[in-house]
Amino acid sequence: MSEPLLVGAVAYTPNVVPIWEGMRDYFADTDAPIDFILYSNYGRQVDALLAGSIDLAWNTNLAWVRTVGQTQGACRALAMRDTDTVFQTVLVARAGSNLDGIESLRGKRLALGSQDSAQAAILPVHYLQQAGLDSDSVELIRINSDVGKHGDTGRSELDALRAVLEERADAAAIGINTWEAMGREDLMPGAFEAFWTSPTYSHCNFTALPSLGADRAGPWVEALFAMDWENPRHREILEMEGLRKWVPPELAGYASLFEAVETQGISIQW
Amino acid sequence: MVNDASVLQAKVNPRLLLDLIERVGAAARYGVVQVPLGDADHGQQEEVVAAWCERTGNELVEVSGGVAKIRRGRSADPFDGLLPDQIPGTRLWMYTNFDCNLACDYCCVRSSPQTARAALGIDRVRRLAAEAVDAGVSELILTGGEPFLLPDIDALVAACTAVLPTTLLTNGMLLRGRRLDALRRMDRDRLILQISLDSPTSEIHDAHRGRGSWDRAVTGIKIAREEGFRVKVAATLPYEQTHAVEPFHQFLEGLGIDREDRVIRALAHRGVAEQGIELTLETLIPEVTVTDTGVYWHPVSAEHADQLVTRDIFPLQAAITQVRHRFAEHRAHAVAAAQWFPCA
Repeated sequence: MSEPLLVGAVAYTPNVVPIWEGMRDYFADTDAPIDFILYSNYGRQVDALLAGSIDLAWNTNLAWVRTVGQTQGACRALAMRDTDTVFQTVLVARAGSNLDGIESLRGKRLALGSQDSAQAAILPVHYLQQAGLDSDSVELIRINSDVGKHGDTGRSELDALRAVLEERADAAAIGINTWEAMGREDLMPGAFEAFWTSPTYSHCNFTALPSLGADRAGPWVEALFAMDWENPRHREILEMEGLRKWVPPELAGYASLFEAVETQGISIQW
Repeated sequence: MVNDASVLQAKVNPRLLLDLIERVGAAARYGVVQVPLGDADHGQQEEVVAAWCERTGNELVEVSGGVAKIRRGRSADPFDGLLPDQIPGTRLWMYTNFDCNLACDYCCVRSSPQTARAALGIDRVRRLAAEAVDAGVSELILTGGEPFLLPDIDALVAACTAVLPTTLLTNGMLLRGRRLDALRRMDRDRLILQISLDSPTSEIHDAHRGRGSWDRAVTGIKIAREEGFRVKVAATLPYEQTHAVEPFHQFLEGLGIDREDRVIRALAHRGVAEQGIELTLETLIPEVTVTDTGVYWHPVSAEHADQLVTRDIFPLQAAITQVRHRFAEHRAHAVAAAQWFPCA
């Protein structure tokens, strides 16, 4: 039995512990056992990956972009959730706001989530710019409730929605996962409505450095892909982590974020 | 799901959804959080909370005092840890009658020769048996009173054995004459007789059940076996005696009763019993029990109002569903209590 691979993850909720204990238990029965280390933020985690303290980092899309930047592209993504390949940003306003399409934000106030959240801050600004809207066209209200966790807690997005309810903003930019958690427009008709949805982009992935050889990464990825939604023990873990199956990384889905980081002058370090 | 969007639109507080997501999202798995419903109409807010929980895979534990208690994720299957035949609704008990030729001093349903008959009757037994099959019941159990006091006991049993394996509880004392003839008409392949016998000698048994009852019960066991029936023997003992029963086992061995056919249970503080273990709705795994007055939680409490489930015997499926639902609720409440009083 080889030494366990050390996987890093950010502890953005208490449920990260049962998720990774479940993953550790699962991999203990494979040829690629793991252990895990939890970090308080993605900066610490990527630093640990670069320092060789961990073999794999369960990274957000911004953490991936920054790791690519700091390794001059030498790092590689091994796998992601099926849900990571189709992530989206949703622009939401009070029902009946008459906002329709991203261009309708001209002259309005848009509440953004944490500054390091790709879905609730960085990419919304990118899409605004693509639509020809700059900070003179749209007033950006930044709500940095959970900086360091890249928007994982969703708290800043909920605060952005509260800003809309309190009429401190006309609209909010949130991740599709938060919109789904709200039940879209179905559960509380008349409260919120989505008036624009972004193209899909990639979110999290398992990031490794070249020092992790194929002889160790290969069996691990193979075992990861063998997790089966129909197996109740696997399913419990998959449900908590928010996926139905692990899939190969969709690297093209990071193009918009690479462009946004460069255009907005976001540092590749912390 | 929400059905009347136009009504909810006006009266539901949208902050409620945001609070739900934030508080439940920050909770540990299976943790229970409280979310105030706010000042708007609580009924409609509760409807939204329930719909949100259903949609997001969380569990609404309860709403009281304007506060919703929500479990992160769903609690474990309430039937986890139960044996297959312990799952509520697997067995259906029917009290055929309440009158009895004995007046045992611990009878959980106060049966005696003075007790009114209160019979279910052949029509209801037949319908119950038929509905039991559709409801997923796998075993029928007939008890009393003393069922052999009924002149149509063979018809009642036949209605049951025609559809499901059946057990008939009796004190075994009346198996002669026309009642023996009735026994002989019963289906030996589908019926088990469960005869009450409390001790390997007459003293204890007769002290509770009346002089001479032990001799006649033992004779009844022998007759039933000679007639080709599988016989179980059930003893009711004070709790402290339930662990010292080796002489009893040896006696039953001599009667040819298999180990698996010996039921030794603790005396319950129910009916006319002055002492015994306390059994409550919350501490009893239910066994759906039908009497002429309704559906009860468990046969040991079949004439106790505190364990009446419903007065409506039919449709049986509805009663079984209600018992299962209440059992699941009790278990969920127990878990919730553990969450709120972790040091207690």
